[in-house]
Amino acid sequence: MTGFYAQLQERLGRETVPLIGFLLLVVVGFALATPQFLTAANFSSMAFQLPALGLLTLAMLVPILSGGLNLAITATANISGLTLAWTLIQFGGAEAGFGAFLLGVVLALAAGGAAGCVMGLVVAYIGAHPILVSLAMMIFLRGLGEFLTRGGDISGFPDFMNTIGHGTLAGIPVPLIIFAVAALVWHVMLKRTRHGFSVYMIGSNIQAAEYSGLHSKRTLTLIYTISGMICAIAGILMAARFNSVRVGHGEALLLVTVLACFLGGIDPFGGFGRVLPVVVALVILQVLSSGLNLLGANQHLSTAVWGLFLIAVMALRFVFARLSEIRRRRE
Amino acid sequence: MRKLLGAAGGLALALGIATAVQADTPTMGVVVKIGGIPWFNAMEEGIKERAGEIGMDAEMIGPTSADPALQVRAIEDLIAKGVDVIGVVPNDEAALEPVLKKAMDQGIKVVAHEGPGLNNVDWNFELASADGFGEAHAKLLAEKIGGPGKYAVFVGSLTVPLHNAWADAAIAWMAENHPEIELVGERYGVAESVDDSRATALDLIAANPDLKGFLAFGSQGPIGAGRAIEERRKGGEIHVLGPFSPGQGQKLLKNDIISGGYMWNPAEAGRVFVTMGKMLVDGEEITEGTEIEGLGVVSPDAATRNIITDNLLEINKDTVDGLAAKGL
Repeated sequence: MTGFYAQLQERLGRETVPLIGFLLLVVVGFALATPQFLTAANFSSMAFQLPALGLLTLAMLVPILSGGLNLAITATANISGLTLAWTLIQFGGAEAGFGAFLLGVVLALAAGGAAGCVMGLVVAYIGAHPILVSLAMMIFLRGLGEFLTRGGDISGFPDFMNTIGHGTLAGIPVPLIIFAVAALVWHVMLKRTRHGFSVYMIGSNIQAAEYSGLHSKRTLTLIYTISGMICAIAGILMAARFNSVRVGHGEALLLVTVLACFLGGIDPFGGFGRVLPVVVALVILQVLSSGLNLLGANQHLSTAVWGLFLIAVMALRFVFARLSEIRRRRE
Repeated sequence: MRKLLGAAGGLALALGIATAVQADTPTMGVVVKIGGIPWFNAMEEGIKERAGEIGMDAEMIGPTSADPALQVRAIEDLIAKGVDVIGVVPNDEAALEPVLKKAMDQGIKVVAHEGPGLNNVDWNFELASADGFGEAHAKLLAEKIGGPGKYAVFVGSLTVPLHNAWADAAIAWMAENHPEIELVGERYGVAESVDDSRATALDLIAANPDLKGFLAFGSQGPIGAGRAIEERRKGGEIHVLGPFSPGQGQKLLKNDIISGGYMWNPAEAGRVFVTMGKMLVDGEEITEGTEIEGLGVVSPDAATRNIITDNLLEINKDTVDGLAAKGL
């Protein structure tokens, strides 16, 4: 039994197993509390809600792993969404063809990537703290967006975009497929590529990494560029889901992404953490929020529960770390 | 262990029975712009009160910030919950269209408030029309001035469409019905700031000795203009009118510095949400001349799905205390 557990922990990561246990606990709790919880409608609703937050969390994840932070994720997503929207409007708005959409997607990715790249360059070559740099970028992008749109929204997109936001493929919501693919790519990138290895090394100790011959400046630039590009995908998804783009869409999600990363066991100081537990943490947050909504609880209460949950997880982690330390000493 | 399972089973059974009993009561969820502020707290009170009266199971959902993304999430949860009616006070009309369409496709009725541009709704209702709101203020001002004189108009900003629509209506009404009361200058976009309103009002008073009134559309306009009049000791001579927060303007109103204004009642809006939700569930048609409690006899616009009424609430010495006590 212990062998199996150890093996499971080995394969999924130390953080994942307790989180899955907690997820089951929450699901069972809500299932007992309301019969509406274990329904297809609720699961489909959660599956549609999760991906936008999930993609933004992936954008937050790698900068945190490298010991930084990216506060500009929602602003980058908005600016990328606006880029796509402008491209579509140039080609006739609702009548725009698929080619125009593809061009818009490429331009949106370029805009997101460019925003990220600038942040990366400043962090890497000037050595400014990522919090300052990304805060500045957030304010710049938001101001720019407000200036260009005058605070209004751009809407009226072609019908096929609705499929991206609300459609299903073989019964699975399209947004969820996009998120699952992105999460898989992130996992492979972090665990199987040279870039991923560099991210962990830089996050653990940037000086040591540099002396060992890692090109830390290039890696840092790449980290923020990729983060900007996944923001762009989140921006495109939000545009498809809301059928409109506006500066400020999804702003409330910014800090929730940080919460999801920490719940998922990402070390706040960088260097340690995996994608899978973060995904499980996202699911838990979604289940808590949807479940409390089904019960008709106050929205502020669900935010409070999220906070309590983070504190509880931190406390449990501390206790377990102490226990295993004591056990090791006895041995 | 068996005891625990028994207890859990009993709980599940009890909940099952509870829901079976509730199944006949139509359910409704109203998603508002943001939770925890006095305006929507008052609306929630109205919703709960009315739901109790006519036998609906209604709740209000107030997101933690005024982000359309959170409203979309809340509406998706309501669809999953399988409510009969969804009510919404939109932050951003366009962002809600897809999710409201989803709701309507599943047979859920949708009622909106302050969302005249929404397409995927059964009905959108308003307690104040732009013209009616502007005219009511102009009428009240003409009454207070009671003779020839000059007046100035403040708006929140020259780019706020609603304020300017109110101002247009008020100025047009005044020009037609009381040509002896003249407008001074153009309108001034200062009414979102107490200081700007005060400074502009002081300048205007100095420049126009025969100035008799201010129409201030914008939450801070009446307060700022009121301060200027208080400083110049012109209370009762120059009249300040406009929509303002009762709690903030209570004292100025009592001291006759501000003469009054109109607003619409969020609690009443909450009651109308539930009333209309019930009517839609019962399949009652809303047509020209239908009487809806809280709205009166309505003349709905079937093309735009709008029901626009003028149910204004006057803010005066009698009503201000009650409104302020609710935190409005």
